[in-house]
Amino acid sequence: MDDARQSTLMSDAETPSPLPYTDTKPVGHADFYFAINATFRFIQRHHGEEALKNYWRDIGTSYYRPVALKWAEQGMRGVADYWRAFFQAEPGAEVEVIESSDEVRLEVKRCPAIHHLRDHGREIVPNFCQHCFYVNEAIAEPAGLTVRICGGNGTCTQRFIKQTAEASPQNLEDIAPAS
Amino acid sequence: MIGCYDFCGHYEWTFEWLRAQGGHDLVRAYWDEAIHQDSQLHSSKLIEAKCIEGMKEYWGPTLADEGAVYERTVTDYVFRIDMHECPSKGFLLRNGLNQYTDYCDHCMGWIGPLMQKAGFVIDHEHNHCGQCWWEMRRASDATPASQPCELAGKGDVRLRPDWKSPHTDHYARATDPDDKTTV
Repeated sequence: MDDARQSTLMSDAETPSPLPYTDTKPVGHADFYFAINATFRFIQRHHGEEALKNYWRDIGTSYYRPVALKWAEQGMRGVADYWRAFFQAEPGAEVEVIESSDEVRLEVKRCPAIHHLRDHGREIVPNFCQHCFYVNEAIAEPAGLTVRICGGNGTCTQRFIKQTAEASPQNLEDIAPAS
Repeated sequence: MIGCYDFCGHYEWTFEWLRAQGGHDLVRAYWDEAIHQDSQLHSSKLIEAKCIEGMKEYWGPTLADEGAVYERTVTDYVFRIDMHECPSKGFLLRNGLNQYTDYCDHCMGWIGPLMQKAGFVIDHEHNHCGQCWWEMRRASDATPASQPCELAGKGDVRLRPDWKSPHTDHYARATDPDDKTTV
């Protein structure tokens, strides 16, 4: 093996992933979107919409806590690195991550979950796209950040900005119902 | 966004969240209603319509896509899987994720009711380390589970030196996730 190739491999091995949990395969299995959608429907059917919002908040603060810690430590660079790695591992995602000193903006041109569910004729939970707000807000809040989402149902814009008193709250009507 | 790349991680976390909300019965209902009857609707339809042939058509591409290392043995009477490297449990072990009491129960939690509806019973054993075996037979077939090597030959997961570590959970002609004995 030549030195340049060896150096690349060592560098790859030593660079920690921006993702908190990693797999041996590079991309996830898209049919798992069926289960994510079904989980939302089940919780809402059994315990109502508020319980579903609590589930989204809890998964953000608990399961994704390592992400919040990295964002708190690394700021906007950490936010951008996370989302680039995240969408690289989601099959069929087309997302542009635009980073500046005071904002990270995701331009979701093709949401992998909505498209896979739609392509397979699955009934999508109407408030599916709200999960991005509740989960992402729960991750962002401990890092001193907040998220604002506009769009949904396959394409959207998500802005991660610093928490300030001036930041207007998320209007849930800006998040489109999914179908 | 909740993604599919680390699905097994938040899936396992969800079991414990549901248990805290509504106890074991809510977790069982989740596996049956959300996974068997909703998420895995495609596999239910396939297996109910085509029986063992449907099992081949479902698990072949699915386990390949998930990256499983396994052996499959199929006759006219039995469908057997020897799982040597479960991609799902393997993900949890590698990432140190362990919220719920026994993640492996979720398979019997959704496959059990599916097989019952399709007219099959299951012999199954898992060792909590990413290895397990399954035999599906028609409920009218009284044939007991195979002995090691009898069906799967050298591919039988029970031949692994690490199979019995630390203990296994065993199901005999079952379709209910609670019908297990610990060996």
